[in-house]
Amino acid sequence: MRVKIVSYAVLIFIIALIQSTVLGSISVFNVKPNLLLILIVSVALLGSNVEGAVIGFFCGLTQDMLSGRVIGFYALLGLYLGLGVAFINKRLYRENVLVAIFTTFISTIVYEFAVYFFSMFFKGSLDLVFPFKYVILPEAVYNSIVSIVIFLIVLKINHWSEELDRLSRRY
Amino acid sequence: MRFLKNKLFILLAVTVAILIIMGLSVRKNSKVNSVSNVLTVVLSPFQEFINYIGDRVEGAADYLQNVEALNQENEALKLRISELEKEVKELSDYREKNKELKEALNIKDQFSDVEFLGANIIAKDIGNWFNIFTIDRGITDGITVDSAVITKDGLVGRVISSDLVSSKVITIIDEDSTVSARLSKTRDLVFVKGDLQLKNEGLCRLDNIFPDVDISVGDTIETSGLGGIYPKGIIIGKVKEVRRKSSDLNRYAIIEPAVDFKRLEEVFVLESKDNFDKVGEDNR
Repeated sequence: MRVKIVSYAVLIFIIALIQSTVLGSISVFNVKPNLLLILIVSVALLGSNVEGAVIGFFCGLTQDMLSGRVIGFYALLGLYLGLGVAFINKRLYRENVLVAIFTTFISTIVYEFAVYFFSMFFKGSLDLVFPFKYVILPEAVYNSIVSIVIFLIVLKINHWSEELDRLSRRY
Repeated sequence: MRFLKNKLFILLAVTVAILIIMGLSVRKNSKVNSVSNVLTVVLSPFQEFINYIGDRVEGAADYLQNVEALNQENEALKLRISELEKEVKELSDYREKNKELKEALNIKDQFSDVEFLGANIIAKDIGNWFNIFTIDRGITDGITVDSAVITKDGLVGRVISSDLVSSKVITIIDEDSTVSARLSKTRDLVFVKGDLQLKNEGLCRLDNIFPDVDISVGDTIETSGLGGIYPKGIIIGKVKEVRRKSSDLNRYAIIEPAVDFKRLEEVFVLESKDNFDKVGEDNR
């Protein structure tokens, strides 16, 4: 467990750093992937409810601190996303990369629609087609592709942590 | 069953707590926002480092590509410099004259009580919805919320929150931004707003154009000074296109900002001088 906490913390830090600096220069159609979202989905897919919720909360909080207008908005969204994904993971064969890709795709659409709804919709922009076509859908596709890398990293961490747990139990 | 209830209760409590924190942090200069310092203070040196490396790499690549072109440009520029030097001499005469006349007329110079703070952009926004960036100056440098941010070309935006060593700046092309502006030619009041659809092309829109306003492509837009955030007379951009929906009552214009938001690297933050002197005391 300790391995997981430390490595997830390091992972969040690195991802936040990449997300806020170099990612802008590899954006496609003016859209960049949301690595923190992918991390939430990957961890929630492989872990328990609590893990999903906690990692969702901290990834969201990171986003709040780095670029949010309000502290807590992304944290709350992330928490529920992590929880939601962790709830369905028992029904899926969760160590399959394809499952991760598919879940990331769906999660991105739900998550970004929620962000758009709460931050723009109430201010009078009633257009739903444009944001879906030009922001949400490309981001979902981009996220799904990038999710392969992050999912495999998280999977490694999980295996590693399990291995260490087994070893420590034996002695 | 009790266990499940317990978990639900925890979830509910956490949700309510976060909602309360959100409510508190909406207020300007709220103390809750200082939580951000935990991350921004640690992260900003790394961000600065990565940006520095990125600039170097880009610079090196440019250098290798452009040596030939640069030589030619150098020659041309040398010629231009000699021309400009002549002009500068003339203009400095005018400047002196202008100064004397201004003093005679007792016009208050709007920039005389403003401090220009240079800052580098160290990070871009994380998501795809907003156009907010982070600069490497914070409370310790005297940055306050709602200060105007400009470059040598024109208006960039304003500071929306400042942490210890970094601040967040919202650009005028962000959907959340509205600037009270004026047509330089006719002095009519208008609004410059960000737009989600135009944002990606680096453009924004002009609203509140009354039917009798004479507006045409190429007109310059500047800040009006109303609203108290942006000083008067900063160039925002030029009108690129005037669109009408059904009638003259219902038209808007597309603005091409003077600032190129895609290639923004350094900006200036305008801080009023009284503010600036006070900062040292506040921080102690």
